[in-house]
Amino acid sequence: MANLTSEQAKQLSDNFFVLSTALLDFRVANWDSLSKEDHQILSDARSKSLEFGEQILALATSLIMNEVAESLDTIHQVTSDIKGTIKNLKNIQKGLNIAAAILVLGIAVLEKDPGKIGESIKGMVGAWGEG
Amino acid sequence: MRSFLNLKNLLFLIAPFSIFSCVNLKTVQGFSNTSSTGLQQFEEIHYTFLDHCQDRCFEIAVHEFQLERELECECGDFISADSVTQVIYSTLKGYLLGLGELAQNNLTTYRTNDLTGALTAQQLGPVSIDESVVGAFSALSNTLLRSTTDFYRRRKIASYIEQANDPLQVLLMKFEQIVQANLKGELQFKKERLYGNFIELKLNNTLESDFEKRKAGEDYYNALLEINRLEKMIDIYAKSLHEIADGHQVLYDKRDKLSLKDLAVDLMDYSSEIQVLYTEFNKLNQ
Repeated sequence: MANLTSEQAKQLSDNFFVLSTALLDFRVANWDSLSKEDHQILSDARSKSLEFGEQILALATSLIMNEVAESLDTIHQVTSDIKGTIKNLKNIQKGLNIAAAILVLGIAVLEKDPGKIGESIKGMVGAWGEG
Repeated sequence: MRSFLNLKNLLFLIAPFSIFSCVNLKTVQGFSNTSSTGLQQFEEIHYTFLDHCQDRCFEIAVHEFQLERELECECGDFISADSVTQVIYSTLKGYLLGLGELAQNNLTTYRTNDLTGALTAQQLGPVSIDESVVGAFSALSNTLLRSTTDFYRRRKIASYIEQANDPLQVLLMKFEQIVQANLKGELQFKKERLYGNFIELKLNNTLESDFEKRKAGEDYYNALLEINRLEKMIDIYAKSLHEIADGHQVLYDKRDKLSLKDLAVDLMDYSSEIQVLYTEFNKLNQ
């Protein structure tokens, strides 16, 4: 037997909805003529119809998962590629920061200032570690 | 050094990049941001399949006067439905946010302050650099860098839009189906159960005084109004999903001409429509 589709499940749910409203309308129209037992039977049948319909509607949503699996995979892949591209672009900023830090180190070396050399090395390490 | 920093040459070099690098990416960014904001209104609906199951369980227990120490509700199918909904929603959100982030300008507005600072230190040994040239170098190198990376981004964005469009259309359509047909469908059942409960109350003649009858009527219509409000929110939300799908289709159709101004105009319609729906939705959510 073929699997139920989400559309078919929705149709089934609609049918149960129509059935439950029809049962209530019938009960209302014949309220005084129905026995207590008849009322109970109709009320239970209506409640069950409502419950089935609601349950099948939830099932219709779960069935959609089978229908979108491929689309979900593709979008996940594209989103992951986008994130990769963003990361590369952010790394350019890192490159610029390191370039600036190297320049500062160069100045410190030219000045032969151990204090500044130490500071600028720290700056370079910091720039390298960013992002 | 000065010959390398010939301002006229640099301006000539960057002009073609800078002219057409802003409009397109801003347009894509604007559309992506508006779309992801519109999409995220899903979180404001505050009604899930599980909520529906629990409400139903409560209503049945009250109607049948079932008294339990703990109300136990069988909600497995409803929890599954919420999971599927969440998976699709999160996937759509991830893509739109990612696209918006990739298109945003400050991603390639690099800070060259550190470099400028280092150059103006005027301590580069025998090399002496004029301060105004340093400033111009910094500004132009930043623009040049941004222009080349913008070019790279534009190419990448066009490729992502191309790959994503078909699955995105499917997911948006199915998400709309979940929200408008299924979740709103559950509300139809809620409404019907509510009507049944009150009509029984009326026809059973269990309400005696006018006060009781009016109170019951008031309770019924208040509950009905609340369901109607949720239904309207869902309808507006579903329209937003439709606009997002159509807008992305325009992006896809014009992916090779992302720099054209008419794209901005075309997408403006969809973005404006999403914003109008956003406002309408928020009014109902107050």
